[in-house]
Amino acid sequence: MKDSEFDRLLEICRLRLEPSERERIKGDIDEIIGYFGTLEGAEGAKAEPSYHPIKVPEKLREDKVVPFENSDLLLKGTKTHRFYVIGPDV
Amino acid sequence: MGVISEFRKMGKNGSYHQTLIKDLKRINEKLQFLGALNESLTEGIPFTVKDNICVKGFEARAGSKILGGYVPPFNATAVERMLAKGFGFLGKTQMDEFGFGSFGINTQVQARNPFNPDKVAGGSSSGAAVATAVMKYHVAIAESTGGSISNPAAFCGVLGFTPTYGTVSRYGLIDYANSLDKIGIMGRSGDDIREVFDIIKGADRYDSTCVDTKVKGEGKKKLVVINQLMKGIDEEILSSFDSLLSQLGEMGYKVEHVSIDSITKAIPAYYIISMAEASTNLAKYTGYKYGLQRESFTEKYNAFFTGARAAFGTEAKRRIVLGTFVRSESVKDKYYTKALQFRTAITNKLGQILKDAFIISPTMPITAPDFEQAAKLTPLQTYAMDSLTIPPNLSGLPHISFPCDYKRRMPVGAQLITGHFNDYALLDFVSEWEKRFEYRFKYSLGAI
Repeated sequence: MKDSEFDRLLEICRLRLEPSERERIKGDIDEIIGYFGTLEGAEGAKAEPSYHPIKVPEKLREDKVVPFENSDLLLKGTKTHRFYVIGPDV
Repeated sequence: MGVISEFRKMGKNGSYHQTLIKDLKRINEKLQFLGALNESLTEGIPFTVKDNICVKGFEARAGSKILGGYVPPFNATAVERMLAKGFGFLGKTQMDEFGFGSFGINTQVQARNPFNPDKVAGGSSSGAAVATAVMKYHVAIAESTGGSISNPAAFCGVLGFTPTYGTVSRYGLIDYANSLDKIGIMGRSGDDIREVFDIIKGADRYDSTCVDTKVKGEGKKKLVVINQLMKGIDEEILSSFDSLLSQLGEMGYKVEHVSIDSITKAIPAYYIISMAEASTNLAKYTGYKYGLQRESFTEKYNAFFTGARAAFGTEAKRRIVLGTFVRSESVKDKYYTKALQFRTAITNKLGQILKDAFIISPTMPITAPDFEQAAKLTPLQTYAMDSLTIPPNLSGLPHISFPCDYKRRMPVGAQLITGHFNDYALLDFVSEWEKRFEYRFKYSLGAI
């Protein structure tokens, strides 16, 4: 993988690596991607993709408004001002 | 009779639990397997919970710095069901960060093997296996994505049961890979695991992938060994496995060897799917909602998140990058979709065999390595260690690792796999095995 492609990936992932960590991960990644590529053309490639290992029945909730239990707990652990969550500058 | 029934008959409360906690703290200094401890426990059969499963009021770090200080305000469904049946929550157990590891070393606190503290406990449910190996009256709630229950169970000489995907609710589990994660059980006997499984399984309105399908126990007398899985296994392990097969032959089982070429693709398929899912799951750790709290709110959006995500360990970063890559529009069909196709192909193939047989293999290709040896392995060498545990995990098949031998004073485990929703057949099998083979435990804290 080219340096520019790797940098673009890091940007998408919101990751910044120290030089030694960058060297280590970049070095491993080419080898791992090469290994992943062994799937190409191998037997089994024509089956239908499975998004779950078992059949998961479609279980949708009824389309009506219900009160959310313990909604106050959702904000526990965040910094809040009145009922606002404080986050970074956009 | 399992230890749970024995404990109930004795009816130990109060001072028993306090003495146990004192002993645990002492041994934890040596083996480092515990996270947050419930020091006020005074009743119930003690159970521990892997640190990626939420217990109300106790820190859940999932082995990661980025979740440091996160205290869940709710119980996972499995935990809630255990508490409702009178079990006593004893504490959290250490693990590889978010489950990313096979040796319990991808985290700040590394659990040590009770048989030899210079050796790893396995991963990612390292602490759960050690807790099971050191306490007599106890069961552990653990979790497996690609082998995180079988692997440490084998290295630490305990039973590790991973049920069919979807039989136990994942509500309250800190996700690694949603289509692969399964909450399971570690214990010292088939009877104990059966009792806990009966409690925690069953549909849950909080997890739409959790099903209420009837779980069966159809025994099989045929054992299938897949030839491709037997490559790259240590001679010592192979000799233990041969001896196991002979003993099972004496018990009336017939062994058959088969070849499945596509099984060798289970490892790349598994790692592609798990990394793709992990890379999206880990996007929620942004430095202000869970755990790690950054104070630099004047920073711009991207700089703030990037700063927070520096807290991930190297393996987590590697998996985020790779998972993001395999999901990229330009290569998605080549990697991600192909991996999903291989999951179907491998699941169908294994399903055919499992109609009238169990699949059996060693659990791990080696006994527990030294910390130094494990740290020297490259990522691909480490991933290859999961070659025997990945196939059932990729396909959501129930499997159990059970001790079958001891080599150079270290335990050796074997793994039995059965078809979807035939989980009880595995527990019946180990109960039969236990009549013939006596497990050895280095410690039995809490024994009366």
